[in-house]
Amino acid sequence: MTVEFKKIEGDSIQYFALVIILAVVTALGFYAYALDRELGGLNGLSNRVPWGIVNAGIPYFIGLSAGSLIVSALAGVFNIKKYKVFSRIAAYMAAAWIIAAILSIALDIGKLYHFMNAVRYFNPTSIFSWNAFLYSSYFVICSVYLLVQFEEMERATRFMAGLAVFWAVLVHSGTGAIYSFVYSKELYHSALTPPMFIVCAITSGLGLLLANLYFTFRFTNRELDPKLIRGLALIFAGLTMILGYFLAVEGLEKGYIPALHEAVQFVFLTPISGVFWSFWLLVIFGITIPVIIVLYPKTGYDLRWISFAGILHAAMVFAERFYLIVPGQVFPEEYLAGYKLESLHTLEGYIVTYTPTIVEWLQVIGLIAMVYLVYVIGVKVFALIPERAVEEVVEE
Amino acid sequence: MMSRRKFLLLTGAAAAGAFLIPQISAKTQFVESPEEVKAKRRWAMAVDVEKCTECMEELIAKTGNPEVKPPCVVACDKENNVPEFEDKRIDPQWMRIVKLELDKPEIGPKEFYIPLLCNHCEHPPCVQVCLTQASFKRPDGIVEIDMHRCIGCRYCMIACPYGARSFNFRNPREGLKEVNLNVQMRTEGVVEKCTFCVHRIDEAVAKGEEPIPACVEACHKYGKGALVFGNIKDPNSKISKILRENIVVQLRANLGTDPHVFYTKLGGE
Repeated sequence: MTVEFKKIEGDSIQYFALVIILAVVTALGFYAYALDRELGGLNGLSNRVPWGIVNAGIPYFIGLSAGSLIVSALAGVFNIKKYKVFSRIAAYMAAAWIIAAILSIALDIGKLYHFMNAVRYFNPTSIFSWNAFLYSSYFVICSVYLLVQFEEMERATRFMAGLAVFWAVLVHSGTGAIYSFVYSKELYHSALTPPMFIVCAITSGLGLLLANLYFTFRFTNRELDPKLIRGLALIFAGLTMILGYFLAVEGLEKGYIPALHEAVQFVFLTPISGVFWSFWLLVIFGITIPVIIVLYPKTGYDLRWISFAGILHAAMVFAERFYLIVPGQVFPEEYLAGYKLESLHTLEGYIVTYTPTIVEWLQVIGLIAMVYLVYVIGVKVFALIPERAVEEVVEE
Repeated sequence: MMSRRKFLLLTGAAAAGAFLIPQISAKTQFVESPEEVKAKRRWAMAVDVEKCTECMEELIAKTGNPEVKPPCVVACDKENNVPEFEDKRIDPQWMRIVKLELDKPEIGPKEFYIPLLCNHCEHPPCVQVCLTQASFKRPDGIVEIDMHRCIGCRYCMIACPYGARSFNFRNPREGLKEVNLNVQMRTEGVVEKCTFCVHRIDEAVAKGEEPIPACVEACHKYGKGALVFGNIKDPNSKISKILRENIVVQLRANLGTDPHVFYTKLGGE
């Protein structure tokens, strides 16, 4: 049999309730943004920590976008038939998440009505400037990829799948480089970040896709083959371990540099800071527990447990973004080697804490709700989900 | 129902419109060519740490306020419309004084005071990362921000190795008692920093005079004369002489940014 994609009915009370809830949360997020702009001072940012969780939303959403797309489109490139069932939904979600990422930039910048300057004035030495171009083109590529799938244009689909994978890797490495090419902050500077971003994107994107599939198929009473999910879950667990490996190498390398001992002590071993928790929450709940869930035979074949592991990991990857962005700002830089420095008029030279406020959280959560709103409406409007997803796909 | 062609035309026109809105640019137009300017002028500042420390020690002893703003900082704030907000976390500051101490508590190290300001680097990381080329370096070495271009993404603040940049979390007018109309006013949501008093420089150069930034002027008038400003392309300038005859220190020189604020006389002879 071939894969039959079909729209969902979407006329139950539960469906409309879900749409309304998601719409309300989305609206709350934008309201929080408006409130922050109108009243001012409702966020936890400062001149020492100018990038907070709304900024962390940018690489997070892009990761979720790139991740699921890389897996499904790779299956398209290598013509792995059994994963074709996920190809539409992955492309659709990729487009939805990239919108969230672009909106995250819009919410984060100080001058929204200068936003178009980011596209009009290109600075070839600015990685962010390159990304402004990459993000918008990536959205177009995802949309075209989806379109050729709807039209069932086989050769175009394979071509677009290849292009989409290439672009997703480019987009996400570029995003990692925004942070890790900053040489003025030793805690930012790392050549490992871009490849780590790719791994992390795939794990978080895949984790969420697994949960997404499980819940969608369950609520629409469609058939989902556990073997299919099991295969994806193993890829997920393997890459999550590689992520742990990257983190370990990077942390140990930083710890090896005497100049960074104090900073490393602060980041990894000082439990009074949020930075410490962002790292260890990721390691324990984002990596260790999800990997155990997938590898342990009693839970590793249960779709509910796998979904849980996927969601847990994807949620904790947000902590990873926090760990990437915040510590480098919180811990002061040494302006004159060997000298302790304290500013009389600013907070330079001090550890400046950053605690995200509810207003900032609402903006991030609002954007996540927006993506799922786009998803639940999407599955009703477009034929994104197959009738049944089983491992054996018989050739016509 | 709109036809597909009409729809495409409309969206295309809208996109083109968004791109093509004319904008005002603050980029300075020189009478001379950039190459000429580059050959003739490169502005820099030298700080005599000994004199600066002396001034600060006296000031703190006199006022009893360990966070007292010396004449240079007060003059900078006033000249450049740098607002004053109670909350240090968001208070923009172009020039600030820092206390330095060797990280060896066992020897009871002496405290030194130095000013921090934008270093107007030869290879400015802020200009490198700026999304819109809002941060730019003039041929005479001054790093400036075009407020009409700045989108407030704060990437430059992350990239600046010297914490020289402040974001306007609030409208600066709220923190100003008076406004100097000679200096461009900023709005909420953009990044600002020291300009070496570029308006004074351009005016002085046009008149054929020696430019003097507000902080340097105040330092010589009310302080100990620790700050020297000038053109290092002119071998006879005072600053060229200082750089020639002293061991000077640039902050975080290992990054290769080549900052143009030089610190001299780091210990009392």
